[in-house]
Amino acid sequence: MEKKRKRRLGRWFSHLRPTVRARLRVAVPYALIGVSSLVVAFILSDMPGWGVWTAFAALFVLLEFFAVEVNDRLMQSSSVMVIMTAGVIFAIRADSSAMFAMALMGAAGPLVPSDFKERRWFQPIANFGQMALSGALAGLVLDLSLNPFSGAIEVNDLLGVVLASLLAALVYTTTQNLLIRHAVKTVYGGENLEPWSKMGMLFGSQVAMGLLGGLIGAAYLIANREAILVLIVGVYGIGHMSLYAFAQLRDSHIGSLRGFVKTLEAKDMYTRGHTERVAYFAQLIGEELDFSGTQLEAIRWAALIHDLGKLAVPTELIRKRGRLDDAEYEVMKDHAHLVEEILAEVDFLQPMVEIASGHHSHFDGNGYGGRGHTEGRSPSLEACIVAVADSFDAMTSARSYRMALSQQYALGELRRHSGGQFHPEVVDAFERALNKTGRRWGAPHVNDEEMARRLAEEPELTLRG
Amino acid sequence: MADWSPRTIAALSWLFPLVAILVGLMALPDAVNDPLALTLGVTALVLGSLIGVATSNSGNRFTTGLAVAAALPLVLTDGMGRVDPSGTVISYDGVDFAGAVVIYGFGLAAVWALRYARGESHVDLVPALVRRLAGYVVYALVYSTMRIGIFAEFAGGWEDLLPFAVALAAWLAVEVGLRSLLVVGPRELSRTYLARALLHDLNVFLGLTLTGALFGELYPALEIWALPIALLPYSFAHSAFARFQETKTTYKQTIRALARIPEVSGLGVDGHADRTTELASAMAKEMGLGPNQVEQVEFAGLMHDIGRVSLNEPNVITMGYTDDDIARWSAEIIAEAPYLDRVAEDVRNQYEPYRRPGESSNPEVTAVARIVKVAAAYDWQIHRDGRSPLQAMEHLHAGSAYEYDAEVVASLRRLLTSRGIISGSNRLSVG
Repeated sequence: MEKKRKRRLGRWFSHLRPTVRARLRVAVPYALIGVSSLVVAFILSDMPGWGVWTAFAALFVLLEFFAVEVNDRLMQSSSVMVIMTAGVIFAIRADSSAMFAMALMGAAGPLVPSDFKERRWFQPIANFGQMALSGALAGLVLDLSLNPFSGAIEVNDLLGVVLASLLAALVYTTTQNLLIRHAVKTVYGGENLEPWSKMGMLFGSQVAMGLLGGLIGAAYLIANREAILVLIVGVYGIGHMSLYAFAQLRDSHIGSLRGFVKTLEAKDMYTRGHTERVAYFAQLIGEELDFSGTQLEAIRWAALIHDLGKLAVPTELIRKRGRLDDAEYEVMKDHAHLVEEILAEVDFLQPMVEIASGHHSHFDGNGYGGRGHTEGRSPSLEACIVAVADSFDAMTSARSYRMALSQQYALGELRRHSGGQFHPEVVDAFERALNKTGRRWGAPHVNDEEMARRLAEEPELTLRG
Repeated sequence: MADWSPRTIAALSWLFPLVAILVGLMALPDAVNDPLALTLGVTALVLGSLIGVATSNSGNRFTTGLAVAAALPLVLTDGMGRVDPSGTVISYDGVDFAGAVVIYGFGLAAVWALRYARGESHVDLVPALVRRLAGYVVYALVYSTMRIGIFAEFAGGWEDLLPFAVALAAWLAVEVGLRSLLVVGPRELSRTYLARALLHDLNVFLGLTLTGALFGELYPALEIWALPIALLPYSFAHSAFARFQETKTTYKQTIRALARIPEVSGLGVDGHADRTTELASAMAKEMGLGPNQVEQVEFAGLMHDIGRVSLNEPNVITMGYTDDDIARWSAEIIAEAPYLDRVAEDVRNQYEPYRRPGESSNPEVTAVARIVKVAAAYDWQIHRDGRSPLQAMEHLHAGSAYEYDAEVVASLRRLLTSRGIISGSNRLSVG
C-alpha cells in the first residue's frame, strides 16, 4: 500500500525538473511544519497585545530584509534579538504568552519583497516553516521557564531571565540552523555548507543577540518606560544599518578586485577565467587539508591576485606563441615582484601577497618569486597550493600554441613533479578533492604536449578526429 | 569669524582648561552635592573619551565620552524615582543642570590635558573643545528647561523622549553651526563642507547619544544592570562602525594600489594619480561639496588614468590612441566594480569640455568630473611638461572658456594661494 502511494506520488512529480523536485521535497514538509507550529501554538497560548506585537513584527521583518550575508547562502540577521525581546515581554505579562506570538512573528519573517519581486517561491516557504517552528519552540521554553515571574518582575529576577533567554535563544538558533542546513543540503548539495565546526562565531553571535533581546525585554518591563524600547530600537537600528553598509562595502571591495582581474584576463582570451578557476581549485585543496575559514579566505584572495603583476607585462609577451627567450623570461619573472610593488600599501593583503608572490617557487627551493620565495627553501603551504592550482589550470586550458591537455595528463604531470616542483601532500589532496567533485577538466583525449601542439597548429586534425 | 593666528590659538589653548576648571570650582558648591557622583562622572567621561569609536573620512572623531555626556543630565534628574501606587513614574522635580555642566567641564579639561600630552596641535584642539562645550551647555540647558516645564508631568511614557530629542537637535545645531564658523588656521575647507561632513556622520553621533539616553532611562530602575543592558546594543553598533571604517580604509588602499599599475608599468607619470586625487579632493572640499561627492572625487581622481594599462596592447601600439580613448578604457575598467558606476561615468566625461559654444554648461560633465579634469591637467602641466605653477594656472585660465570650468580653476587658485604655492597678489602674465 505504502509502495503504491509512493509510486502514485512519484508519477505526479516525475514530469518536473530534478531541481524543482528537490525544492518540493523541502517546501512541502516545511510548509506543513510551519502550519502545524502555528496551530499548536494557537491552541496552547494566550493571545499577545496586538499593538505591541505589530510593532515588533514590523521591526522583525525589516531586519530580516536587511540581513547581512556572512558566507555563501547563510545570512546573519539581528532579528533574533527582536523576536526574543517580544517573547520575554509576552511570557512575563500576566495576560499573554510567548509561544503563538513568536511563532506568528517567525511566520511573518519571510515576507521579504525581493523574494516576491524575483518570483522565488522555495525560499519563502522553507523560511516560513523553519522560522515558525523555531519561534514556537523558543516561545514554549520562555513560557515554561518565565512562568514564576508572570505578572511582576524585579531587578533580582534578572538572573532567571538571563538563563531562560539563553535556553530559548539556543533552541531558536539550533532549530533554525538545523532546518536551514537540511534544506540547503537537499536542494543545493552539501558542498555549499560550512561545516558546523566553522560556524561557531555565527552561532555564538546569534545566541548572544537572543540573550540580549531577552534582557532588553525584561529591562523594559522592570523600568516600565516606553521610551526605553524606542531608544533600544534606535541604537540597534543604527548599528544594523552600519553593518549592512559594511557588507555592501565589503562586496564592492571584492567586486572591484575581481573587475580588475577580469581586465587582466581580457588581455589574453586563452587565460580568461583562469583566476576564478585557480581560486576554486585552491579552495578545494584547502578544504581537503581541513583549513580554517580564515585560511581559506586568504587562499582565495591570494589566488585572485596571483597574476596581478601581469597587468604590467607587455601583452605581446603574454600572448607569445612558443618559448620565451632569456630577456623575455626575465620580464615575465618580474610579475611576481610587481604584485608586491603594486599592493605594497594594502595592509590587509600583505599575507596574501606573500602567498601570491611565491606561487612560482618550487617545493624543493628552486623556481622564482618575490618575498614569498627563498632560494633553497620550500615556500609556505598556501603558496604550494596556489602553485598546484595554477599549474593544473594552465595545463587543462587551451593556449594560443596548444590545445587544452586532459585532466589525466595534468594530474600525471603534477605527480611526476611531486616532491620537486610541487608539494606532495598538496598534490595528493588535490587529486582526492578533484575525484570527490566528479567534474572533469581539460580536453579528454589530449594526452601529450606534442599532440596538443599539433592540434592547435592544424585544427582540421580535430575535425578528422 | 576671522582666522586666528597660531599665537592666539596657543594662548587660548592654555586658557581653556584653566577657565573650565575655575568655572567648575565656582559652580561646584551649587552643582553637585555628592562628591562621589562628581568623581564618577568625570572618570567615566575621561575613560569614555579614551575609547575611540570612529574617525570618519571627513575627519570627525567620535569617542564613547559622547555617550557618557549625553547620559549626564538624564542621570542627574531629580525625582525620577517618584512613582504612583501602580508603579508608574509620574513626574520629575528638575535637572541638576549645573552638575552636568561642571562634570562635563572638568572632564573636557582632563581630556584636553591628555590629548595635548599626546602631542595633538592647538589648531585642532581648541576649536573642537570650545565647540563641544558650547554644544553641550545648550543641550543640558534645553533638556533641563523642558524637564521642569510641561514635560515633567508626562514622565514614564514615550513622551519622555521629547525633551531629550529637542535638546539633542539643539546640541547638533550648535555643533554644526560652530563647526563651520569656528575655523582656525589656514582655511582649505569650505564652511559648507565642514557642516555637511558633521551631518554625514550623524549615524555615529546618534548611536552614541541614544546609548547615553538609554543608560539614563534605565538607571533609576535597574541601577548597575543598566550598564550592561545599555552597553550590549551599543557594542554591536560600535563594532559595526569599526568594521565599516576598516573596510573603507582597506578599499581605498586597494583602489589606490590598483591605480598605480599604469605608473608601475611605465605607462604614466609617477605619482600622477595620487597627486591629482589629493588636489582634486582638496578643491572639492574648498568648493563645499558634500562628503559623498568628495569621496567620488577621490575614486575618480585615483582611477581616471587606469585605462593606460591598455597602452601596451599591440593594436594600440600600432594604431595609436587619443585622450578620449584613455577616458573610455578607464571608465570600462571602473564599471566592472559594483557601486562605482557613477565614478565610471564621471571618468568617462572628464575629457569632455565642461561646455560647448552656445551652451552655458554641459549637464553630463558633473562637478566631480570638472574638478578631476582641472586637477589632472594642472598635475600634467607641472610634472610632465615641467611648467611652473603660475604657467600651469595660466594654461588653465586660458582654457576656461570651454575646456576647464572657471569656478573650479578659481578654487584651485585659492587653494594654491593658501598653500603659498602661488602668491595671492600675483597677476597672471599674458604672453
